[in-house]
Amino acid sequence: MTTLIELEGITKVLKGQEQPRTILDGVGLTVDAGQSVAIVGRSGSGKSTLLSVIGLFDRPDSGSYRLDGQEIARLPERRAAKLRSSHFGFVFQRFFLLKHLTAAQNVAMALVNGQGWQPRRQRKARVMEALDQVGIAHLAKNRPARMSGGEQQRVAIARALVRNPRILLADEPTGALDTETGTLVIDALLSATHRGCGLILVTHDRDHAARMGRIHDLVDGVLSERVMVR
Amino acid sequence: MRRLSGRFRSSMIIGIQGIRARKLRTLLSMISLFLGVLAVVVVQAGASIAERALLADLELQAGYDGTRVMDVPTQQSAADAVVSTVKGRSDAVAMLGVSGIVGEPGVLPVNPNAAPIDQDWGSAVVCDQNGCQEASGTKGQAVEVRLTALTGDVRQFRPFRLESGRWLDFSTVPSMAPKLVLNQEAAKAFDRYRVPAEMRVGGAAANVTPQFVGVVDDGDYQPRAYVRIDELTTWLPTSKLADPNTGGELRLMMSPGSPVEQVLSAKLKALGNEVYVNTVESRKEQEKQLSLMRLIFFAMAGLVLLIGVAGILNVGLATVGERVEEFALRRAVGTPRSLLAGIVLAETLLTGLFTAAAAIGVSIAALKVVTMVVGNSQPLLRDVQFPWEAGVAGIIAGLIAGILGGFIPALRAAGIPIATVMRA
Repeated sequence: MTTLIELEGITKVLKGQEQPRTILDGVGLTVDAGQSVAIVGRSGSGKSTLLSVIGLFDRPDSGSYRLDGQEIARLPERRAAKLRSSHFGFVFQRFFLLKHLTAAQNVAMALVNGQGWQPRRQRKARVMEALDQVGIAHLAKNRPARMSGGEQQRVAIARALVRNPRILLADEPTGALDTETGTLVIDALLSATHRGCGLILVTHDRDHAARMGRIHDLVDGVLSERVMVR
Repeated sequence: MRRLSGRFRSSMIIGIQGIRARKLRTLLSMISLFLGVLAVVVVQAGASIAERALLADLELQAGYDGTRVMDVPTQQSAADAVVSTVKGRSDAVAMLGVSGIVGEPGVLPVNPNAAPIDQDWGSAVVCDQNGCQEASGTKGQAVEVRLTALTGDVRQFRPFRLESGRWLDFSTVPSMAPKLVLNQEAAKAFDRYRVPAEMRVGGAAANVTPQFVGVVDDGDYQPRAYVRIDELTTWLPTSKLADPNTGGELRLMMSPGSPVEQVLSAKLKALGNEVYVNTVESRKEQEKQLSLMRLIFFAMAGLVLLIGVAGILNVGLATVGERVEEFALRRAVGTPRSLLAGIVLAETLLTGLFTAAAAIGVSIAALKVVTMVVGNSQPLLRDVQFPWEAGVAGIIAGLIAGILGGFIPALRAAGIPIATVMRA
């Protein structure tokens, strides 16, 4: 199994306040290709900050972060943007679909990002393939306003999948959905792991967390793996 | 290069999507910018039209830029040398001027000394070897004109505008009755004093009856008539065409680099004549006249444009404020900061371009209407075309306004923290 992500001793301190607050305290995490990992914890425990560090939105203050064996903890922004495009797919609690674009155009947004250029026909084929993977190819021409929450989140997942990412980062993707729809969304995310994509899911939902291969608890910035008994 | 092209295309695609999504805002930006770009287009168009009109007048009087002009002292020997040298040549035309009176036989002209028809330049004077004395007789239905004999078609050097009839045809057999092309002042005079009769030229063997074949605008305020030299020399020896006693003129117009200049200079020097050669520089002359005026108008247009830029900037900043999440999301999917800035700039640049297109369109339409309505009464506006320089100036103004108005919003967009999407 190929190791995709290796975090060791990652620390992130929130400065600019009277007293600096440690958000991540020596976090270590390994994610292999095709593996799914759930990170659970209370609000404010640092889950989203950890996802920001993994997704190269933010830099750790200390520690080591290796992606495909390459140290990337201190990467300049331009290379970080390139890696975000080539390696990561992001799904957020709020779907962040642009309301003036159709589902297909929202998905294509990840392809029209200045990181390489694909001809229109090729782009369209990729977009339709991604929408098909999440089962909503028939909604390609619909605008977000005409879609349900579950459909919108699946468009967001298609957007995350369209570049064939190595790792999917999902920050409470079912937070705004009912249980049934949430299950469908988790299904869509897990199906990506069958194709060798790593998945890190931040969630409050125990049932969804239980469907992941591993569960990690984040408590006061400290990450620990929960022993799962199936 | 390929990466740049990809980013350029990406910024254009996203920029167009942004404009389509915010049509009203784009329209508001365009309205705020429209007057500024229109001012630039109008100033440039006005300056170009005025420049062309001025240049056309200067060319009419002095000749096309680069034309070599040789002024030869009026000596009888010089006239023979000039005519024999340029005869049959297309790269040089000699213009030999004498005074001629056309009209009722035996009377003094209504405009002695070839004065403009409504001006009084004093009484008629007759000169010979013994000196000048006032002419005696009574004024009648006759007009004195400056008669210019041409060895070829001078319009290759001076763009006379044909007003009516036709220009002299140098390819036909010379007529015994010289064909005259009048300038506007002469045409005005003959319009008032319509006497067929005869043409009197000092030293001519006979007073012949001329034929008026056309009228041109030559930019001259004196009444003047143009004639083929071979039609005139049937009755008048060439030497008389350069007789100082008849107010002779002798000028040569040549293409730059014509060998005539060297040959004729040598010949005339050998005959003891000093020649003066200069190059026509009409454009240089008028640039001096127009540059300050143009500068003042452009400064005014620039101010109006700045107000438009402030409008674009205002709308741009508000739009970026509304699109914080979109830009953060785009960064999350790998869009580099430079492309985010490029997207905003692409939108403002396209807005600037659309505005420029609208301003140019309105200017073209307005110019068409103006030429249709007042073109007949204002020669300056007759057949005037929209100058391409004004179009280019409008596009440049639109682009500059787009860059200036989009620069700060672009920086803001590029600086939006990516974590915005995580905290939302």
